[in-house]
Amino acid sequence: MSRKEDNKVLIIPCSGIGKAFGSVGREAMYMVVEELRPEETETLCLSLLTLGDEEAKERVRSHPVITIDGCPKGCAEENVKSVGGRSVANFRVVDTYREHPELKVRSVLHLGEAGRKLARILAKKVASQVDTVKMKEEMTDG
Amino acid sequence: MVDLPKKKVGIIACAGEEIPEGTISRVAARMVLEEVRPEDTVTLCLPLFLSGDERERAFARFYPTIAVDGCEKLCAKRATEKYSGPVSSYLVVDKLLQMRGLSPGEGRHKLDEAGQRAAEVVAQEIVSQVEGILGAKRIVAAAPKVATAPAGAGTTCACASGIPITQVKIGGVSVGLVALEPIFEQFYQEGRQDGPGLDEDLMKTVKLYNHVPPSAEERYKAALLEEYEKFCRRKRG
Repeated sequence: MSRKEDNKVLIIPCSGIGKAFGSVGREAMYMVVEELRPEETETLCLSLLTLGDEEAKERVRSHPVITIDGCPKGCAEENVKSVGGRSVANFRVVDTYREHPELKVRSVLHLGEAGRKLARILAKKVASQVDTVKMKEEMTDG
Repeated sequence: MVDLPKKKVGIIACAGEEIPEGTISRVAARMVLEEVRPEDTVTLCLPLFLSGDERERAFARFYPTIAVDGCEKLCAKRATEKYSGPVSSYLVVDKLLQMRGLSPGEGRHKLDEAGQRAAEVVAQEIVSQVEGILGAKRIVAAAPKVATAPAGAGTTCACASGIPITQVKIGGVSVGLVALEPIFEQFYQEGRQDGPGLDEDLMKTVKLYNHVPPSAEERYKAALLEEYEKFCRRKRG
């Protein structure tokens, strides 16, 4: 595995199933991982971390991690921190929503056009954070 | 009439982000929760078992729970049992699809046609399991009346739903029992303050909401009776 692949930034959303903002966070993550920064990022099943899977714990300890949370419970961030993960940034969907209150999400299952727009805005912020993390790492590597 | 929380079935999906089957588990669960059986089902975000509090960890003791897992790692089932309580049943998406000769499709982000069809099949299987559980539970629950949902659970999300927990000493160990106060209240209002079979009936009702190890049933029964007597004394002032 090349250094570049090995050093991907992990984007971990809460994927909260009970609230629509959980779906927005998950959608934003896929936008980053599959469209905006596919070479620099990857995701990880949060449920593996919750379970305490050793390989998952090792991955969040050895990679920079950006978490996305849908509600104030902060499950993604809390789960990563609880195993000593390298959390470099946390985004809360509600913060982006506060900046764009006109973008109302339709439901957990169907985000609707406005919900997808909200996810896109959040995804761009996350992608920008990925760039910052990578830039810092390159500077550190010299 | 005292309202005990209506018995619903809890659905915990792994929602695994890395594989299409994780997305299928999430979409299928939401289909059941939002569209097919909204009155009979409730959910909780799986990672809340770790980052939540005791009320959230009481989920699988309060609701008979179906775990929906994307793969054989069984994160939803195992995490539910690790932090909350035994699941009533579980299903594994990739195994189910293999048995039905179906493909999960290619997309973990957006389900393609095959993935969407797979989600519908998984949703049907969840509904079938929900019906199995509710059918069985309704027979057991015939004596104690069950009524409205607890505050906050009406939207199918059970986080911070205020599942009532009472700490009771059983055999010298403090045990958190779910729904004990409303159960006591119901018995009290029905005029059942003593008499033969009271301990058995209390036990039967408490077991609807709590896992009671078979080897500890007698200790639970004695402790329940003692707690109920205290409750009645408080009510009488």
